[in-house]
Amino acid sequence: MDFLLNNLLTILILLPVIGAVLTIAHQAFWKQESHLKWLTLGWTTLTFLVSLLMFSSTAAGPSGYFFEQNVPWIKAINANYHVGVDGLSFWLIILTTFIMPIAVLSTWHAVEKRPTAFYVFLLLLESAMIGVFVSLDLLVFYLFFEASLVPMFFLIGIWGGANRIYAAVKFFIFTAFGSLLMLVAIISLYFLYADQTGLGGSFDLVAILNAMNTGNLVIAPQTGMLLFLAFALAFSIKVPLFPFHTWLPDAHTEAPTAGSVILAAVLLKMGTYGLMRFNFTLFPEQSRELAWLFITLAIIGIIYGALVAMVQPDVKRLVAYSSVAHMGFVILGMFSFTEIGMQGAVFQMLAHGISTGALFLLVGFIYERRHTREIKEFGGLANIMPIYATIFVITTMSSIGLPFLNGFVGEFMIMLGMWKSTILGITSGVNWNYIAVMLAGTGVIFAAVYLLWMVQRVFFGKVTKDENRTLSDLSYREIGLMAPLLVLMVYMGVYPTPFLKRMDDPIKAIHERVMQRGGGTVAKQDIEPAPQTDAVGMNR
Amino acid sequence: MTENNLLSVIIFAPLAGAVINWLIGGRLKNELFSAIVACGAIAVSTVVAFYLAFVAGGGALFIDKPILDHIWTWISVGGFRADFALGMDRLSAVYACFVTFVGFFIHVFATGYMKGDDGFYRFFAYLNLFMFAMLTLVLADNYLLMFVGWEGVGLCSYLLIGYYLKKNEAREAAKKAFVMNRIGDWGVLMAIFLTFTLTGSISFFDKTVAGEEVQSVFTWVLQNVTAAEPFTWGAIIAGGLTSIGVLFFIGATGKSAQIPLLTWLPDAMAGPTPVSALIHAATMVTAGVYLVVRSNVIYQLSPTAMWIIAIVGAATAIFAATIAIAQNDIKKVLAYSTVSQLGFMFLAAGVGAFIVAIFHVMTHAFFKALLFLGSGSVIHGMHHEQDMRKMGNLKKYMPITFITMATGWLAIAGIPIFSGFFSKDEILYKTFAADKYFQNGAFPGNEFLWIVAVITAVLTAIYMTRMMIMTFWGEERWSEPLAVEGSLTHDSATHDEHADGHHDAHGDDDEEHHALPPNFKPHESPWVMTVPLIVLAFLSTVGGLVGIPYAMSSLVGIKDANAFEHVLEPVVADVETPAAVKARENAKAHSPEAVSTERWLALLSTVMAVFGIAVGFLLFRNNPLRKMPKILEQKWRLDEFYNGYIVDPLTNLSRKQLWQGFDLGFIDGIVNGIGSFVMALGNIVRGVQVGYVRTYAAFVLLGALAVIGYFIYFGFKLL
Repeated sequence: MDFLLNNLLTILILLPVIGAVLTIAHQAFWKQESHLKWLTLGWTTLTFLVSLLMFSSTAAGPSGYFFEQNVPWIKAINANYHVGVDGLSFWLIILTTFIMPIAVLSTWHAVEKRPTAFYVFLLLLESAMIGVFVSLDLLVFYLFFEASLVPMFFLIGIWGGANRIYAAVKFFIFTAFGSLLMLVAIISLYFLYADQTGLGGSFDLVAILNAMNTGNLVIAPQTGMLLFLAFALAFSIKVPLFPFHTWLPDAHTEAPTAGSVILAAVLLKMGTYGLMRFNFTLFPEQSRELAWLFITLAIIGIIYGALVAMVQPDVKRLVAYSSVAHMGFVILGMFSFTEIGMQGAVFQMLAHGISTGALFLLVGFIYERRHTREIKEFGGLANIMPIYATIFVITTMSSIGLPFLNGFVGEFMIMLGMWKSTILGITSGVNWNYIAVMLAGTGVIFAAVYLLWMVQRVFFGKVTKDENRTLSDLSYREIGLMAPLLVLMVYMGVYPTPFLKRMDDPIKAIHERVMQRGGGTVAKQDIEPAPQTDAVGMNR
Repeated sequence: MTENNLLSVIIFAPLAGAVINWLIGGRLKNELFSAIVACGAIAVSTVVAFYLAFVAGGGALFIDKPILDHIWTWISVGGFRADFALGMDRLSAVYACFVTFVGFFIHVFATGYMKGDDGFYRFFAYLNLFMFAMLTLVLADNYLLMFVGWEGVGLCSYLLIGYYLKKNEAREAAKKAFVMNRIGDWGVLMAIFLTFTLTGSISFFDKTVAGEEVQSVFTWVLQNVTAAEPFTWGAIIAGGLTSIGVLFFIGATGKSAQIPLLTWLPDAMAGPTPVSALIHAATMVTAGVYLVVRSNVIYQLSPTAMWIIAIVGAATAIFAATIAIAQNDIKKVLAYSTVSQLGFMFLAAGVGAFIVAIFHVMTHAFFKALLFLGSGSVIHGMHHEQDMRKMGNLKKYMPITFITMATGWLAIAGIPIFSGFFSKDEILYKTFAADKYFQNGAFPGNEFLWIVAVITAVLTAIYMTRMMIMTFWGEERWSEPLAVEGSLTHDSATHDEHADGHHDAHGDDDEEHHALPPNFKPHESPWVMTVPLIVLAFLSTVGGLVGIPYAMSSLVGIKDANAFEHVLEPVVADVETPAAVKARENAKAHSPEAVSTERWLALLSTVMAVFGIAVGFLLFRNNPLRKMPKILEQKWRLDEFYNGYIVDPLTNLSRKQLWQGFDLGFIDGIVNGIGSFVMALGNIVRGVQVGYVRTYAAFVLLGALAVIGYFIYFGFKLL
């Protein structure tokens, strides 16, 4: 047990890889393709259970992370295998390991060609995703970040829909383009560190941050801006932030169900996670300086994503565009640079992972039955598939942000945080932070429009197509894999405290770092919002 | 502060009922079981609500401190806290009592009305869920939990309007209702943000939670704001109390179907009739009034917001009344009537008569629930015919329904003694005398608003009389074919398609009209439906007696008859601005001139009500199918306006410019352009191009390694 706890994160990264090896071995020796899904399901479930051991964390490591491990990796370039987890990555790792068995279950009858490769890619993907969230070394992070690209590329390219090659290549080009620039930035940081500290270069985030704290490493504003942009571009494409979003609808639509679910639930979060973990801590001044840009793009994304989602003829594409809108909220909350907003953003990452993941699963169910996702091919399904319709409506409500379901808590906190923020300032009596929330708030209205319009056309009214009359309602397997998601939607909506509590400290730290670092350009009252009551002539 | 855990029973009993009906009722498919569970749950809520309001610890209606019940802390982060906690003060006690009471009888009625429906259990599960949300809304002790109920009733309204799954118009109506409510919700959310930013709290009551003092929004305002905000347009966007007031009112226009967000309510009539009675007449739609009265401290200090409320209320009242006069669907008449009556309530709140607004909410709940249930009884007796042109002379066949509905008719028309008379008359008087009682001194244009309100009152009497005549008097018209242009029949002759034996046989074909058999005779409804009618008729008749104004009770020598006002007086906070103090003094004084003015106005409004009924009889008694102006029948073409100028342009913009233009055209154009360029380049170096994605991936990896290698190599050199 001690061994397990001491090496927990490494074990978590390796478990899926071992699973992949076993899968190949099993197929090589027994040639029983029908076993593979059970094997993968068992293995991902095991990984999930092991990841729950993170709850037992008691003492943080030397740099404030739990389950920290730091061993030299490539001595020549001073690259360390440095991993650790804190309240920010904690839930994202759990989300990853939690969503994997569900994704595997969703493919029960869907994978016809080359199942071995399919399951191997799923497992490798899991490993890479966990690696991204635990890495504290920039080079290690970069490798995992890139490594996650490859399995997803194949998942889309081999098991995707009709237009899969185009979608896969587009996905690859967009994300690889961004991350290559990030690599350049990482290497620059390495040399900046080497030049200024005289200790040789370092990829270690903790070491770099320490050097910045002690003043041993000072990045000139212009250099900082370039580096910030290189990191930010890679992450913004991943999120995806408007206008880098056009790969997402294609990738989502063409990907197999499991791929879409993982893409929505975890892969997009790597972008927002990266921004928070690296951009905010490494380049606090630049983050503040460019907040207006990200907030603007986020708001455009919220409204734009919603409007375009509204007119999509394909259910899956509609959900994909809704992702653009929802992730806009996450960006908005992060760049509000208030604790409420940033916590809301992380909470919204989880909530979006659950509810959008669930929506993709639901779309997958109907696609398996009808082999189409065109909204106009359906109508009146509530009469034929009542259980499916019920679960779909609940999930939709969660995505719309109905109170007491998970979507509401995150969005509310994000908007409240932005409202109380001072990052945008007040010019000639107009508080732009308010304006930002008022605009973003319209996204909440539009979410109801596009999702309910879709629900209405798919589920209500008369059954218009005869092919739909014979559709079977959900099987026990399908209900079973939706059930944990539904429970979480309600639980997170009704009692978010445990989730918020755990992310409290790291977010406080990041928040403080962003607001206070950088030559004292930020006065104290920017952190504690000044009361605005004086403007309206009230006696205090 | 009094703690009482019974408070949570009021909201959780219906929730439990909903869950039981959903999980067990769905399997049993036993109507008796579902009915008992649903009605039983509401009965429990009703008993507890009355116990807490009247008995426990002196009764929430009579003590000064609210009864509180902290259940758990919902969100607590960075100085912001929202509890799942309930509080019953005098205002929420009044609401809780009439919501549970009227709700209970509507549930009973529905067990008869929905008999034989496929989704009986589902219907009652939704209905109980609605009660849970509605009671959460009125018992919440902070704005955010109130918002939970606010959204919850919206969801249940959505589910229940769309209850008849196969009906196309029902699904349109359901979506429209939800979306229009959402537009309003935007206002509520923004108002909550602003409230919290300004006051540091969202709580309604001062309380202590786990040793932590929580100050209420209203206490903060009373302590920190001593002057009313300026009465200017600028105050709306200044970010102060007026902004909060206007934003909350945007929410109220959505929930309570006021201009401009009113068109969803008439469409919502596509739902089953008990739903219309419960949600779209008696309870949910009055949530907007609750919100305004709950926030009265804020409104008393923001004259601009109150003025806007009064104007919008009056405008909605008359606008909806003109439409009601030309509708042929019995439920549509009542729906527009509801919109119009809600307008009256907002008018009252807008001129500062908060208690009168609540009084009208209560009497309206009685008589409008009665009228809707009565219409349900008629529809039931007519085998789901809703078109009044196909009715006539029903008083012969449905005497109980007729007599009970007649009391509702007299109540809404404003005939003295009936409940609607007292509440409506006070609204008219308070509007007329706004200069005396308005908390911000002079109220510009109150005489004009009064004239609008009086005209609306006359119109109300006329359209209700028309409805009664078309339904209960005159010739029996159900066997005659409709002699109207085809285009209109489709629109107005809607059918409440609920299970009536041949529901299943017809499968999905809901457009079909249930042709009445040749020897058809309407029948009176069973006792489960008539008993609620009788109870509500009784309340519609005498329910107004709890709030007889001084000017009238003093006629017979009783000085202190307005129990309703005395109970609710503490709800309206004592704002210490000079104008507000003056208004309070005026209200207490009962000066002879004021009393005589009120009496004369009461006489006038009685005359007006009688006049309206007389006009109704003159116009329609001998000619019930009199043609009405087309523009009124078409509801001033407001829907067409919204579709043509907002919905369609937005959809087109999204499809043509944004999606196809920007996404597919511009961005992807650039990306694909680069792609083609690279492809062309690739043709030159064809040797390495083998056409497998795997190979490309390998190249990317190689490239990445090359870059790393380059930097490492030259990097070390640089050192």
